[in-house]
Amino acid sequence: MNGWGQAEKAEHLSTIAACFDCGPESAHLLLSAMAEKRFSTGANIALRGDPSAFLFLILEGSVVAEIFGIEGQQAQLTRHRPGEIFGAYPEPALHRADFRAIGDTHVLSIPAQTLAALARAHGEIGSGIAGLLARQLDLMLDRMAARIGLSANGRFHKALLQLADAKGDIRPAPVISALALSVHTTRETGSRALAALLRRGIVERNEDSLRIVSRRMLEEMVI
Amino acid sequence: MNTIPILTLARSGATSRAWEAFLLAGLDGVAEVEALTLKGRLLKDRAKQTAGVERTALFAQSGAAYRQAAALQPDSYPLINAAAMALFAGEEASVASTARDVLTLVDSDPAQGETPYWREATRAEALLLLGRARDAQASLAAAIRCAPHAWEDHAATLRQFAAILSERGEDSAWLAQHRPAPSLHFSGILGIDSCDTVAADAIHVAIAGIAPGFGYGALAAGADIIAAEAMLAVGAELHVVLPSNPADFCRTSVAPYEQDWTARFNALCAMAHSLTICNDGSETSHSGIALADYQAMGMAVSKATLLESRAVALRIEPEGRPALGDPWLSAKRPLVHVAVTERHPPVKTADLAEGTLLFLVALGDDTGVADPLGFTTLNEAVAAIPLHSGQAAIDCTIAVGRDRVAALLRNTPMGSVYASGPAALALLAEGRCHRIEPMGEMETADGATEVFAIWLDG
Repeated sequence: MNGWGQAEKAEHLSTIAACFDCGPESAHLLLSAMAEKRFSTGANIALRGDPSAFLFLILEGSVVAEIFGIEGQQAQLTRHRPGEIFGAYPEPALHRADFRAIGDTHVLSIPAQTLAALARAHGEIGSGIAGLLARQLDLMLDRMAARIGLSANGRFHKALLQLADAKGDIRPAPVISALALSVHTTRETGSRALAALLRRGIVERNEDSLRIVSRRMLEEMVI
Repeated sequence: MNTIPILTLARSGATSRAWEAFLLAGLDGVAEVEALTLKGRLLKDRAKQTAGVERTALFAQSGAAYRQAAALQPDSYPLINAAAMALFAGEEASVASTARDVLTLVDSDPAQGETPYWREATRAEALLLLGRARDAQASLAAAIRCAPHAWEDHAATLRQFAAILSERGEDSAWLAQHRPAPSLHFSGILGIDSCDTVAADAIHVAIAGIAPGFGYGALAAGADIIAAEAMLAVGAELHVVLPSNPADFCRTSVAPYEQDWTARFNALCAMAHSLTICNDGSETSHSGIALADYQAMGMAVSKATLLESRAVALRIEPEGRPALGDPWLSAKRPLVHVAVTERHPPVKTADLAEGTLLFLVALGDDTGVADPLGFTTLNEAVAAIPLHSGQAAIDCTIAVGRDRVAALLRNTPMGSVYASGPAALALLAEGRCHRIEPMGEMETADGATEVFAIWLDG
């Protein structure tokens, strides 16, 4: 499986489980069909008209989709950030735009047809893909409407609240990079947000769990 | 009960509209804790914007709402607010009795207080309201020991204590000992030799003298890198703010100066508490550097404001070099100058593109929305916003078109001024606004930008 080390593999599995909202078995199935790719900033990932046979999940960095008009004018269609998907699904197609990395960019890719086959065979994976696509649609609509939503910190705080049980416990403690990606932000942003909560005593870290000490304060930080 | 839209209006400064929305939602007569604490907060906001009898009456109503919430569910949070509101409403008898209730509650119920810090800080506030200043000081010190790095919470307490002491006409100088270390913005010349120990010593001494807790700046070869190393040497958090991605910035502003600057740049990037890239899609340009400077200064000011501490600037330049155009000067904040000798003129930066830094303003009122206006200085942009503007938005950019400021305006409530993250920080840097309040993030095709409600200075 791609020669990943134990820690890296565990992190990828957590990321897939968080992004596809699936259990460890499905995450293993997905990861076994995935490859990891890295692009330095400015690198072309794909050009308009190129065959598009993979779905990409962005782990780090971001990817802009650009088109050029007949007179050569450039327009940025969108900018995908960590936790977002782009590419083909369920069938191979042609790229409709140029895709370029902004910042050093790290993605997981999976053949579109393999993913479609996994979705047909495993309800949990199918449901996960539906969820991912629905979130991607929401994001695209938000971008078209240019509306104000939650900040990256706000989304991370909300995700913590959603994971907590009635007593405020989050057990087991979440993998922060995976949780951050599931709300379309970076590992650094997630880590800093959690560090601030721990520093202020709003959240406590225990041996194998997190505990929300003040739900009201955390709710007020969902901005 | 969805109170988020009402809270959003309140936080954006649209106080009257927030109150109208509260009434429209039928929450005024609702005897539930959430509705009552929201009512207390909205009435308090309205009281702060009025004067005289009306102000007193609104503080009294706010206190009543908080007291009612605490009666439904014993909780030190609404109860201490009720006690403070009673003070601002001039109800001295109620101040004492409510503050005693707070102490009883905190002493009898170990679960009171939302965090260990707030449990002790609430006790301290109750003691202060009872006029037991010495006990309050000891209790506040104990609160801070519970969470020594909960600076935002300490700041909220310090603001509240200052308001209470001011209301009573009492000395608040003792609060200063509890303020966190200052925030520092550093910048300086490129042409310092890597082995210039005289310059390095002077920079280290200056930074040790300021004793900052948080430092913001870029990492160009020379003064920036030495200052950043000095920040780490005094144990401060280093927040690096670059105009472009680190590889491009290093190529244009570090590597050309050879010596060991690149290795030091890479080491500092790895050790920084945060790394902000202002425009990761563009190459380094003079305008990009100016924008990044604005961002770093604004971040230093924002941090100091949030923490109730001081923002200080450090400028490392040859003696006598005029600091014309330094945005920090227009805000009249403290600035420390370290004189150094320039060994190599920064000729290599002449290759950088100029770029264009634009300040964009969009205005709207009841009759519609005008086309966005573009300015090359922040002064001109601010001057274009009428003092009592119905609705305005401001952006600051080197790469994004006018669509973003127009979209920002569409999201701005009447009675408010919204700014993109870069514009809000530039306004803070120049001292053109005294408060910014985060409102979330706006998604556009160009990426996401943070959005702030801002309070412009007249």
